[in-house]
Amino acid sequence: MSDTFEPRIVGFFCKWCTYAGADLAGTSRLQYPPNVLPIRVMCSSRVDPVFLITAYLRGADAVLIGGCHPGDCHYIEGNYYTRRRMAMMKTIFESLGLEPERLRLSWISASEGPRFASVITEYTENTRKKGPNPVKSKVFI
Amino acid sequence: MVSGNKSSDSIDLKGAPLSLAEGARGALLSFLRETLDNGLLDALLIPMKVPAGDSYAWVLVKDKSLLEDANPFAPIMPVQGARALSSITKHGAPDLRIGAVLRPCEQRAAIELCKLKQLDMEKVVFITLDCPGVIPLKDWFSDPEKGETQFQQLLEKGDFLSPQMRPVCQICDKMSAPIDVDNATFPDIHFALLGVPENKGLLIPFSDIGNELLEKTGQALSSDTQTWQSKVKEINAQKCGKRKTAHEKLDKEISGPEKFPKAFAFCINCHNCMRVCPVCYCQKCYFDSEMLKHSADTYLERSMKKGSLWFKPDSLLFQIGRLSHMSLSCVSCGTCQDACPMDIIVGQVFAFSSDQTQQAFEYAAGRNLDETLPMRIYQEDKELPEVCSMCKDVLESGEDQ
Repeated sequence: MSDTFEPRIVGFFCKWCTYAGADLAGTSRLQYPPNVLPIRVMCSSRVDPVFLITAYLRGADAVLIGGCHPGDCHYIEGNYYTRRRMAMMKTIFESLGLEPERLRLSWISASEGPRFASVITEYTENTRKKGPNPVKSKVFI
Repeated sequence: MVSGNKSSDSIDLKGAPLSLAEGARGALLSFLRETLDNGLLDALLIPMKVPAGDSYAWVLVKDKSLLEDANPFAPIMPVQGARALSSITKHGAPDLRIGAVLRPCEQRAAIELCKLKQLDMEKVVFITLDCPGVIPLKDWFSDPEKGETQFQQLLEKGDFLSPQMRPVCQICDKMSAPIDVDNATFPDIHFALLGVPENKGLLIPFSDIGNELLEKTGQALSSDTQTWQSKVKEINAQKCGKRKTAHEKLDKEISGPEKFPKAFAFCINCHNCMRVCPVCYCQKCYFDSEMLKHSADTYLERSMKKGSLWFKPDSLLFQIGRLSHMSLSCVSCGTCQDACPMDIIVGQVFAFSSDQTQQAFEYAAGRNLDETLPMRIYQEDKELPEVCSMCKDVLESGEDQ
């Protein structure tokens, strides 16, 4: 086994858009890094901020939330709430000096297979550059 | 309670002077007695000295003879007043007209609880006071008598910048009625002690009920409040500067994945901070729930993956998670820090972090009753600039909006 760092990214993808977009990327045989652990949720607004914190504190190198574009939410307004929550979480992370860049929100629709692949590629590379999540190496967290 | 669109320039307010011959406490109590006497208020929610004489508790008083031991200027805050008020009113407005004698941070917490549907302020008359802060419980219990005298002296001197108060009280820039805040919600009556003529306190009415109470108890609105207003603004500005410096210092001390866990290293997971927090209202806290009680297998698996696992595994999750739940409603009262058995600076950290989240949403906890909680609303196209910039990597790819 090599010692090179492979980021582990936890992805919360909305069933109606991003998860379908991931499906499309797969059926279109697009190549993207295998570093994301996808979790399907019914809506991006299902993602409780506590999920993000849990993933971060248990050593996820990054957390990605994927939802429908604003205005396209299957439940009309879920992703608008997600956007606010994400801004709140990032502000809290920033205030505590906990690397808000490790949290990300992206809008990817069901038809955007290529966009899904490029977001995953870009985010994986960014995270790789950032290095491993510092909490992983600490016993007392 | 009344919401006004008062500008930050001086407001034309009149106050009724009360003689301070018997001290600030005596003056306010004699007015409160009269309101009970005349049937203007049915009951008062007020801090009262416990029989042992070494602590204070919230008491709902109907009988004015029991007001002997009451002290609206209690030197300590074992229970946040909004919590006490919520327990009386959360199932709907009572049949009584209750006068709640609160500190400004307690009023702000009451406003937040009202938005969270945990408090009904319909029949409550809010009476607030110029607050010099409160003494930390630990300092108090080492010598209650000394604390009582010290606090009395501070009040008489009009020292509102004492370093003996709670750390968050020392940097509280909202220690009076919100006359320097745009579009704020005002109490019905405010009792002013700052910048008033010698040996006088001023009862300043802000609402119709406030006016009615003063009128029917024969208090004439004969005094000008300009000097009080300018003194309040002066002290608030001074404390605002202190707050900024303190937060810059705190940022250096606790910020970062290295330092932040250190600040909470002594946490024993007792969750006292959550239990005393006025805006943590949930009947069952998520962090006390079965959701965070895992099986031995799960813990073993986590320790295998990480190499080790300490046994208060989710204590930081509790702190950051609680911030995510209540930082937008945090009124920085510091009750959490008082309740911490390990002397963690939790109140200071929460005040520091919540200042930033509230600013991002152009919100201030307890400022105005008509403002909606930021997580309950959204803007489709014209989302707040801070929200947009926080989700910037989305915007950069040109996909948002």
